[in-house]
Amino acid sequence: MREPPLVEARGIYKWFGKIHAVDDASFTVRRGEVVGIVGDNGAGKSTLIRILAGYHRPNKGEIFIEGRKVKIGSPSDARSLKIETVYQDQALVDLMSVARNIFMGREPVKRAGFLDKKKMNNESMKILRDMELSIKSPDYDVGFLSGGEKQGTAIARAMYFKAKLVILDEPTAALSVKEAQKVLEFVERLKKENIAVIFITHNLYHVYPVADRFLVMRRGKIVKDVRKKDTSVEKLTEAIIS
Amino acid sequence: MNHSRSVSQAFRHGRINIALRKVVSTREIVILSIAIGLFVLFYFTSFRNRFVSPESLTIIFTVIPELGIVVIGVALLMICGEFDLSVGSVSSFCALIGVELYIFGLDPFLALVIVIGVGAVLGAINGLITVMFGIPSFITTLGTMMVWRGAQLIITAGGSISFHVQETHPAFYDFFTGKVGGIPIQFIWFLIIGVALALLLNHHRFGNHVYATGGNKEAARAMGINVNRTKIICFMLVGVLCAVAGFMQTARVRSFYSTQGEELNLMAIAATVVGGTSLFGGSGTIIGAFLGVLVLTFVEYGLIMSRVPSFWFKIVLGVFVILVVIINIVVGRRRKRS
Repeated sequence: MREPPLVEARGIYKWFGKIHAVDDASFTVRRGEVVGIVGDNGAGKSTLIRILAGYHRPNKGEIFIEGRKVKIGSPSDARSLKIETVYQDQALVDLMSVARNIFMGREPVKRAGFLDKKKMNNESMKILRDMELSIKSPDYDVGFLSGGEKQGTAIARAMYFKAKLVILDEPTAALSVKEAQKVLEFVERLKKENIAVIFITHNLYHVYPVADRFLVMRRGKIVKDVRKKDTSVEKLTEAIIS
Repeated sequence: MNHSRSVSQAFRHGRINIALRKVVSTREIVILSIAIGLFVLFYFTSFRNRFVSPESLTIIFTVIPELGIVVIGVALLMICGEFDLSVGSVSSFCALIGVELYIFGLDPFLALVIVIGVGAVLGAINGLITVMFGIPSFITTLGTMMVWRGAQLIITAGGSISFHVQETHPAFYDFFTGKVGGIPIQFIWFLIIGVALALLLNHHRFGNHVYATGGNKEAARAMGINVNRTKIICFMLVGVLCAVAGFMQTARVRSFYSTQGEELNLMAIAATVVGGTSLFGGSGTIIGAFLGVLVLTFVEYGLIMSRVPSFWFKIVLGVFVILVVIINIVVGRRRKRS
């Protein structure tokens, strides 16, 4: 028997008033697969993944995780289903330290809810080293990190908490070329750990090297669902803009 | 972009490490130096150097907690990203309830427990309205500030009620106005509450949620923190602290008057901001708030003891608050550039 896909979405609809942000979207994501969702601005990419992340509830449609039907009513629901989302600007708190950010919402505690700071600091440094991020101290404020380092920290956090699916929302949008390259390395690393990745971007070139499969969205619909070996940058570009 | 890259390079070379250590306490050091400066200044300007006499210090450290207990709550709430303009009204409303319960025949300690509960409820009302309807807490608490003040005026018909607890229940009177080793007990309560809140904020899971909620609400929510609950708890803590401070003041003054605490609404915010708490949430410390209270109270009593006409007090205070915040910002800017 075949293993059910990690994520299966069937007939997802989301409308805001009269605007159909997501219009009958169905797709699957397999374990360890990197799926690039591409499309122009306003194509419904972000709305679609926000449904998976527990930010929006779909007006219609069903979501299955490992073959089991689920309701994702809040971001914490998504997290307990091992879905981690790394938002462009919303993943980290700039005014807080790296360690506090990594364990935000899932703080290790000793007695009566008091933080186990030693564990927080040690684990943070371990996580960052694993990601080859050269951040010297867990006490640094995240605001001092570069855009790439921030993405790395957020992705490291997802890995540490044993995510099965990591959603990256425009992870390269605000980054320099070199840092964007670094993010692609992070994605490779997730793949090596057999963690599935959904990578949303309007810049096809940023996702093309790492993705196994592409979903092209246009006006709320998934207009193309294709494996990399069956397509090319030119064909995808055409699907996006046509 | 350029700037952030150079910062991250500095990280790798470990330079920021040293700079950061300086930054952590920069704000507090600024406020502390201002406090010390004022202390010295008022020593010389006060009539017969009385500012530093045991008598006047006793007075100062007796009244500091009445503002300070409220301010550390307001600071916690502001770190969480919300305001409370109603603290003066809430604290005096709670005090009024306490006095009425006492007159009704309740033991004042029991009354205190009930009053703390009332404070928590009034705080929860502020929080629930703000969170449920998504309106700025500035507006919510502006409204409740007037509502609870109005309620007191109705109940007391604008008058005052005496509270002779020192005769009937000396134990309670000492509990709130006594001395321990020559130090006013109010100040000791203030220290205990301050240390407890500082531990909560810096070493407890809840504190992490407070900083996260104030620093980036969306990130906190995405990480599974219940930001609404965090905010409501902060509002409730403020209410509880207001209740304690209000009842404490009433015990000291031995009477309730219906305009009690009117100054507190804005003084609390002034002291919090002077203490280096960010108006935008996400940053601030309890020690800073503590020092902010110290500084403002020094100004108030220093001017009185220097025989500056009381009409001048507000002008000086207003200018002072603006100056300190400017200093904070300038120091912050310089530290970023270095």
